[in-house]
Amino acid sequence: MKDSYTLKSLAVLLENNKISSKELTSEYLKNIENGKELNCYNTISQEKALIDAEKSDERRKSQNLRSKYDGIPIGIKDLFCTKGVTTTASSKILSNFVPNYESTVTQNCDDAGLISLGKLNCDEFAMGSTNKTSFFGSVKNPWKSVNSDNELVPGGSSGGSAAAVSGDLCVASLGTDTGGSIRQPASFTGTVGLKPSYGRVSRWGIVAFASSLDQAGPITKTVEDAAILLDIISGHDEKDSTSSVNPKENYYENLNSDIKGMKIGIPKEFRSDKLPASTQKSWDECANLLKNNGAEIVDISLPHTMSALPAYYIIAPAEASSNLARYDGVRYGLRVKGNDLIDMYEKTRSEGFGDEVKRRILIGTYVLSSGYYDAYYIKAQKIRSLIKSDYVEAFKKVDAILTPSTPSTAFEIANEPSDPVQNYLNDIFTVPVNLAGLPGISIPFANDENNLPIGLQLITNSFEEQKLLNVARNIEETINYSETPTKWWLK
Amino acid sequence: MEFDKKSLLKLGKLARISISDDKLNNLSKDLNSILEFVDQLKEIKTDQVDPTSNSLNQKLEVRDDKVDTKNSAEDILENAPEKEMDFFVVPKVIE
Repeated sequence: MKDSYTLKSLAVLLENNKISSKELTSEYLKNIENGKELNCYNTISQEKALIDAEKSDERRKSQNLRSKYDGIPIGIKDLFCTKGVTTTASSKILSNFVPNYESTVTQNCDDAGLISLGKLNCDEFAMGSTNKTSFFGSVKNPWKSVNSDNELVPGGSSGGSAAAVSGDLCVASLGTDTGGSIRQPASFTGTVGLKPSYGRVSRWGIVAFASSLDQAGPITKTVEDAAILLDIISGHDEKDSTSSVNPKENYYENLNSDIKGMKIGIPKEFRSDKLPASTQKSWDECANLLKNNGAEIVDISLPHTMSALPAYYIIAPAEASSNLARYDGVRYGLRVKGNDLIDMYEKTRSEGFGDEVKRRILIGTYVLSSGYYDAYYIKAQKIRSLIKSDYVEAFKKVDAILTPSTPSTAFEIANEPSDPVQNYLNDIFTVPVNLAGLPGISIPFANDENNLPIGLQLITNSFEEQKLLNVARNIEETINYSETPTKWWLK
Repeated sequence: MEFDKKSLLKLGKLARISISDDKLNNLSKDLNSILEFVDQLKEIKTDQVDPTSNSLNQKLEVRDDKVDTKNSAEDILENAPEKEMDFFVVPKVIE
């Protein structure tokens, strides 16, 4: 029963009084309690969620709804500042931080009547691809291989957001994506993950990682739900000077699956012998499917694809080292006593940050330091221009680009490589999209030989979210992917 | 080896992160691995390319210069680890 819940279906159930917001919220809180082993939530807003649900039910009675989706509970990545609710970025340094303001995105959700079930676990400061860098421990993927009982990573950094949707610990969630942090975990958990164009969604009140790359977006069960949630969260915000003044569209209302005459590009640089055969097969099958549905498949080249990841690992750490300078033990968060001011800074930051965050701050500090700035930081920004122009050229020829979302399906938590660079390779297909500021979506296409979800990525030109969602919807409608994980955590 | 003990400690000073002796070896290995990875960019010619700092082609909006009452001292100090009156308290800086 619960498996069929979507934002769309719940709106109908609520409208027809088949269920109240309070009942629905209680049901999800129960699922969260039963699914504690997955470690999806850093904070569960039990009391507040139930009070908000009652208020929604009252609004419904008095026909004073904030939107069609009023009363539906969702989960929020613990990177969005939420007034009065602890916001940690899964870091020790913010583990006691209770914001007295609300991020624009979560405010938009509240304005639509959505209810927050709590704050979802993620990699520390959104830095990671496995959710293992969280101060609160790994999230466990609801999926398991048919050949092993070992626990799998949910992907990252929005691992809690993706696992919670996949395991029915919420119907939809909010994530953020700096280099793949929505699309990669969506791919690992059989969910839909949408990273909007840079500037489509306000970044105000989101804990900053790399400000020129960060974007918030939805993780959902369906493409329709992604359109619904994007409608709710997107739009210009005067509090974020990089939020776009382009008018937002009615993504859900205008959603259709007509792709006749569209050109879909297959970039040759994404092909690799290392790609698992099942992923390659899905990619080929999807291209065929689109062709059968009326699109034209075009081979394209994005020549600088392989330079994207190294450029990203200069730009993102550089911006992070600057953004994370604010955590110094003076104004908020953890303070560790020191002999003097500098000693206090150094001890606070040394104890407050985890290893991956420290590595990135140090690399970022290095590439921005005198003598290396031009050779690394400016160089990477120039590569970024080349990557961007690859896509500008490609979109003169095609409407959308189809690639795999990730170079593998979910792997075992215990098998995470110890070399950081090996881990960075998880994001090889998603990172170029952030550097170019484009929208991208990962949708589940099939399961591999171990019964683990394979995600495919679609990319369109900036602010062409509607086209992106339409192509994704076409695929979704045709394949009707309906695999769900066995709920092994329910004993 | 770009990151030896001395340069790593200097970097830690710049980033205001103290690095304990037992962490030095692993950190040096990790950072060198990352540096080696990003160094592959050196082979790409970029003399004629302008840098991109942000992908958004939009002029930054300037807000109206008007007084509002948001961000009160009380709000800003709410999460301070240590405060006194309207001030953040830090360890003594001047002897």
